[in-house]
Amino acid sequence: MSYLEIENTSVSFGPESNRTHVLSDINLSVKENEFVAVIGFSGSGKSTLMSLLAGLQQPTSGEVRMDGKVITEPGPDLGMMFQNYSLLPWLTVNENIELAVKTVFPSLTKGERTDKIRHYVEMVKLGHAGTRYPHELSGGMRQRASLARTLSLDPKVLLLDEPLSALDALTRSELQDQILNIWETDKRTVVMITNDVDEAVLMADRIVPLTMGPSATLAEEFVVNMERPRDRRTLNDHPEFMRLKTEITLFMMGLNQESKDAAQDLVPMPEVRPKDFALPKAQPRFKNKSSIAGNAA
Amino acid sequence: MADSPKDKIKYGLLKFIDISGFKVLDPPVRLIFGEDPQKQVRDIGRFMLLPIIFVLLCILTWHLIAPTHKTKSGAVPTPGGVIAAYGENKRFDEREEEKEDDFTVQGAEREERIAAVKARLVELEKESVRLNEVAAATEKEAKGEMDAVTSPITERMSALRDASRKEKKERAEAMTALAKRIAAKEADPSELLALVQKDRQANDAAKEELRVLKDRLEEILSDPPAKIKASQLAANKVADEVQHYKKRLDYLTSGNRELKGQELMAKQKEAEEKLLTAGDPKVAVREAKKVVSSQEKVESTAEQEYPRTATIFWQTKRSIATVIVGFLLAAAVAIPLGIMCGLNKVVMACLTPIISIFRPVSPVVWLLIFQIIIGAFFPDPATHPLFVFLNQPEWLGFIPNPVAFLQTNPAMIFSACTVAMCALWPALVNTALGVSAIDKDHMNVARVLKLGFWSRLFKIVIPSSLPLVFAGLRISLGVGWMVLIAAEALSSSDGLGKFVWDEYQNGSSQSFANIILACFIVGIIGFFLDRVMIILQRLVSFDDGSATA
Repeated sequence: MSYLEIENTSVSFGPESNRTHVLSDINLSVKENEFVAVIGFSGSGKSTLMSLLAGLQQPTSGEVRMDGKVITEPGPDLGMMFQNYSLLPWLTVNENIELAVKTVFPSLTKGERTDKIRHYVEMVKLGHAGTRYPHELSGGMRQRASLARTLSLDPKVLLLDEPLSALDALTRSELQDQILNIWETDKRTVVMITNDVDEAVLMADRIVPLTMGPSATLAEEFVVNMERPRDRRTLNDHPEFMRLKTEITLFMMGLNQESKDAAQDLVPMPEVRPKDFALPKAQPRFKNKSSIAGNAA
Repeated sequence: MADSPKDKIKYGLLKFIDISGFKVLDPPVRLIFGEDPQKQVRDIGRFMLLPIIFVLLCILTWHLIAPTHKTKSGAVPTPGGVIAAYGENKRFDEREEEKEDDFTVQGAEREERIAAVKARLVELEKESVRLNEVAAATEKEAKGEMDAVTSPITERMSALRDASRKEKKERAEAMTALAKRIAAKEADPSELLALVQKDRQANDAAKEELRVLKDRLEEILSDPPAKIKASQLAANKVADEVQHYKKRLDYLTSGNRELKGQELMAKQKEAEEKLLTAGDPKVAVREAKKVVSSQEKVESTAEQEYPRTATIFWQTKRSIATVIVGFLLAAAVAIPLGIMCGLNKVVMACLTPIISIFRPVSPVVWLLIFQIIIGAFFPDPATHPLFVFLNQPEWLGFIPNPVAFLQTNPAMIFSACTVAMCALWPALVNTALGVSAIDKDHMNVARVLKLGFWSRLFKIVIPSSLPLVFAGLRISLGVGWMVLIAAEALSSSDGLGKFVWDEYQNGSSQSFANIILACFIVGIIGFFLDRVMIILQRLVSFDDGSATA
């Protein structure tokens, strides 16, 4: 029984004569409480796919459905976590979350609201930074604040649009663990977009590659048959992890090569070679050889 | 940063300096707290001392160059002259205040004050007489010295005159003689022509010589020795003081509001009594009329305000009030319009032609238009409820009216409208820009949260565009202040502009210095208005680390 569905969906824009097809013929179905990762190269239309799921954008053809109903507009049920945090810079972390909570749950009393805010802020381990402004936070903290805000909407579907791509490797793995933790304690449907194969294999139940744009579409999916919770420390010894990682990486590289080949067909490069080209013969000379040697030592 | 109380004070101070934009004060504060003294001292030298020295050099140059340029209104005033003009204006202002106080003072205090003023007046008059004598003596003494300088010149002049008259006569005789010979065909007429030409040249040369001497004489006479000037100045100053005290005495006695009221009241009573005892109906009617009219007079006297002469300080206050009113008007129109423009492309398209055409219009044109339009709204400003309300001393009988001293009138309103019209555009354009440049992600957040129009406006659109809005408002206020001074000068509407214009027109010895003084006041106030806007702008902007302040 699929909960979130994309059926025969295409997205294109521009006039008829010069139409750009971003996505074509996308089919995806996500079961309830399933964690699906969509993996693709930058520029392949991943964010467009996410906008479709979030209802921020309508497909040119086809349908996007949640729980059997067509998604026509964005809403708090489709909790989207944006790539560049999208925290409102004039509000503190608490106020950012408060705005969301106040709007989505208007009936809460002030005390209940404060409790809810504290709950989510502590869930992402930002309890100490609630009164800070976004520009006073590090990238990882901002993303956690953004996650807290998204979770505070209590969405039925969590949409993560490359949530960790702007972070450094260490912060990234820390946040991966946090997101997984939260998901495992409070299961819900998650679609995550990423460009990191390790991340996808570590976190998702299923991985769906998106082919290169234009006219990107979803390729054959990879099912991750790995028990949860997954332990990052032993992951590299896990045969399934290694197999999937290699397979997906090879598949993605193949996609890249294909698209490069296709591009070469489209734009033939002229056969130009430099006629007289030689490396300079002169050797670099140093005035003080001993000091150089000293530095090297 | 460590969190010792000392550090807290230090970083608090530094933050304040940063927000208010007085970056110059940063090194001294750091120096006081002992942070990297060498660097701070170097920075103070480079960014404080050198600029101060430069400004002092500019003032010195001004001081040296100004007196060399003589104008119709006297020499260009030196920095010292401008400072003296400030003192003069300050004294004038203080005196006005004293007189106003005297006008309203009542009872025993008034009696005390009369005694004090009288005593001082006696002293002053004595002093005045003495100084006048000194001045006369000095003048007499100096006259001798002056004569020693001028008499050679006058003698030389009269000698020259005599000589030239004599020569002229001789030449005339020579010419008649030659003419006779020509008539007798003994000489050629061309000789006569040459003679006439020579005569003219000689006349011109003599005149020129005389003129040079006369100029020198005038120069000497027009610039009397410093001691005459000083003694006259001292005498004038005291005479001025005497005048002031006489005037004060006047306001304490016959010109005093309370006394005037009592006098009128007595008249009223007298008329009332006569009315009661009047047998003749005609007399009764006359007395009744008198009673009513003196009742009115009593009332109006009780409300009467001291007719204060506008000093430069009052004019400054009024200009500031006017520019604030105009600026608020501009903001009230520009911000909503700008938000609409930024939110809706159709509104923007509708307003673009209007903005493009009216923005470049000169403030002078707006001034004239508003003068006519606003004038029509207030055919009789003295009784118009708006001005009655704004100018009454107290609101509802007990709240002191803080703007009563401004003496609001239609002139102030049309000046403010002119300011608003010219200050409107930068704020409008910047607001529109700020709203339309709002981050798409923030709008997406609003969509995900399903915010309604109003909460979207107040929670997302306005906060996110505030920094640009304030940047626009800052430009607006600067434009408004400049426009206002010009508008006041042109329309003789009270304010600094009018002060400058009046000084230019009345052309006393102090005028030029007063104009330059006004120039500095305008500049300094403009600077402070800008600072206030910078601080506001810094407080609402959220990206530079000052949003927490």
